[in-house]
Amino acid sequence: MVELIQFGIDFLSLGGAYALMALGLVIVYGILRLVNFAYGELIMVTGYALYLVNGTALPWLVMAAFAVFIAVLTGIATDYVAFRPVRAKSVTAVLITSFAFSTLLQNAALLFISPRPRNIPLPDIFSRTVEIGGVITPVRNLLTIAMSVIMLALFAWLMRRTVIGIAMRAAATHFTMARMLGVPANLIISSAFAISGLLAGIVALFWLGRIGSVVPGIGLQPLLVAFIATVIGGMRSLQGAVLGGFLLAFIDTSLNYSLPQDLLKFRDAFTFSLVILILLWRPEGLLKGPASGQRT
Amino acid sequence: MAIFKKILALTGAAGLALGVSAAGAEEILIGGALSLTGVQAPLDEPGYKGAKVAVKYLNDHGGLLGKKVKFINLDGKSDPVTVGNVAVQLIDMGAKLIVAPCDFDFGGPASREAQKSGIVGISTCASDPLYSSWSLGDKQFTLSMWNTTMGAAAAEFAFNERGWKTAYVVTDQFIAYTKSLSKYFLAHYKALGGKVLLEDTYTNGSNDFSAQIARLKALGKKPDVIFISSYGTDIGVIIRALREIGIDSPVVGGDSYDDPALHKNLGEKLGNDIYFITHTWMGPEAHPDMPKFLKLYKEMYGSAPDTAFVATGWDTIMLMAEAVKAAGTTDGAAVAKALETGKFKLLTGELSYKNAAQGHEPNKAAVLVELKAGKPVFLGWRMPKNPPAP
Repeated sequence: MVELIQFGIDFLSLGGAYALMALGLVIVYGILRLVNFAYGELIMVTGYALYLVNGTALPWLVMAAFAVFIAVLTGIATDYVAFRPVRAKSVTAVLITSFAFSTLLQNAALLFISPRPRNIPLPDIFSRTVEIGGVITPVRNLLTIAMSVIMLALFAWLMRRTVIGIAMRAAATHFTMARMLGVPANLIISSAFAISGLLAGIVALFWLGRIGSVVPGIGLQPLLVAFIATVIGGMRSLQGAVLGGFLLAFIDTSLNYSLPQDLLKFRDAFTFSLVILILLWRPEGLLKGPASGQRT
Repeated sequence: MAIFKKILALTGAAGLALGVSAAGAEEILIGGALSLTGVQAPLDEPGYKGAKVAVKYLNDHGGLLGKKVKFINLDGKSDPVTVGNVAVQLIDMGAKLIVAPCDFDFGGPASREAQKSGIVGISTCASDPLYSSWSLGDKQFTLSMWNTTMGAAAAEFAFNERGWKTAYVVTDQFIAYTKSLSKYFLAHYKALGGKVLLEDTYTNGSNDFSAQIARLKALGKKPDVIFISSYGTDIGVIIRALREIGIDSPVVGGDSYDDPALHKNLGEKLGNDIYFITHTWMGPEAHPDMPKFLKLYKEMYGSAPDTAFVATGWDTIMLMAEAVKAAGTTDGAAVAKALETGKFKLLTGELSYKNAAQGHEPNKAAVLVELKAGKPVFLGWRMPKNPPAP
């Protein structure tokens, strides 16, 4: 029983983080049909924003809000720098510009700050623990679960009940049609990038909270996680991204718990084999998105 | 201005070098293939900065063999192929000695090119025993102690000095360094009579140590000591995860712990009872010349170094200079001979090499540091008695 509770908390806190990461990636993909490879850098800038305000007298929540705000701005900047100028021209060009923007941000951190790790402020509560059913667990993990539930609910409400959400879903279904019906394309796309930045920024607080520091290459793992989760879940479906995130966390956590030591070093190989099996079974991912839709 | 210089170093070194072409008779060119960008940058950039301080010092004191020393570094970009290519370029430009990146995976290609051209290559801090004359050739060396020494020093400290009889060992499956460090710690710890309760693995970057903790708890026994061989920010992740839930056994590790950011990260609350084996200590206790180096460093960069790894760059250049002086020439075979036969008192410890048939195994002491309330404390130099064979 104790192990089950432990497993449940580990899985849900990892899954919540993975799901938010995947959602941030898929919201842009859903509309543009383009993967934003600079997505990991949103996590990185959140970390460096926290580093820059470290040591000021501000309360942690204000620092966190500032860092998330920077992530949102960077998200929007990604649109303006890497996507908008070339998005109508060619997929290849956008692929390259998004890689270029990612490299640019990483190297900026490398040059202007340092290639070595920098510390970020953490609230006291992140290093506290509580006991649940005989399991001592960090409060941070519970907060991650709570935050992912809140964010997912908020996101669902936004997409279903607000004008901008409905417009985004319309754009994701059929972009040209949506435009013809008066949905402003640039606004929708920029909003998608802003939401992407918001999700990345919030998840970064908890992801980096496990580490306590930030390095220029910190965004690679979250990008990989988000990418795989969306591929499993279905590149076009928002629900699919969430499902994919939780499924990937479930696979990772179960393998971590169950593989014998000799095989544990090859955990990633097992994870990816499972991913391949899932894709062979469902080449479009677990959940299909809207039926039609041309890239714009 | 400093940033401008850095950009120049990153991108424009090749351009600068054009003016040199083949280094004239008045200069000795030392080529660096250190990675200033990419995953290796955290270890190579400090080495690069330390090396520049050393070159300036040499030139301010009459140069080498009466010639001016010139140091050109071309960014290896943390890519083994690029490292090899820039080494070729440097040798074409007339480099007589090569400073190779840290770590076997990244430094190896530079040393192989140096060997092909018959010149000496020295890695600033590769500690895997793969960095040997056996695999790279008879003119190649590493400044660092091998992991055999590092692992054995950690084991002797834990078992002999502190009497910690049972251990829990975590190995990060990241690179040759993380794997072999655990291997040699385990070998030596067991040879001394220690008991290993559990060996576990971790995947760098996964940022999740919960399953390992569940396994450790399932043991029902508290280990006397925890040995963690990991790399980069993941060390913080693991120690944090352990300490947060109240596992307070002492933690022992290698030179990857030698990072002020990690110490600050763990802070007063979590940064206790942690011990690590590393290259040097930034204070006069380690070496009488350390304050002089730190002063020169500060003059050059305007601020104190943020890691002790800067000393590896200074030492590499100084080691080269001493060997060239002893040989009286920059000829590869003669310098290699001088390195094999000499005894060197470096900031990173006393050093002598075994001959090429014995792999150029470095005979080098290690520094032991304790972390107390997030502050490092120098515990002294250590030299393990019979480090395991590579």
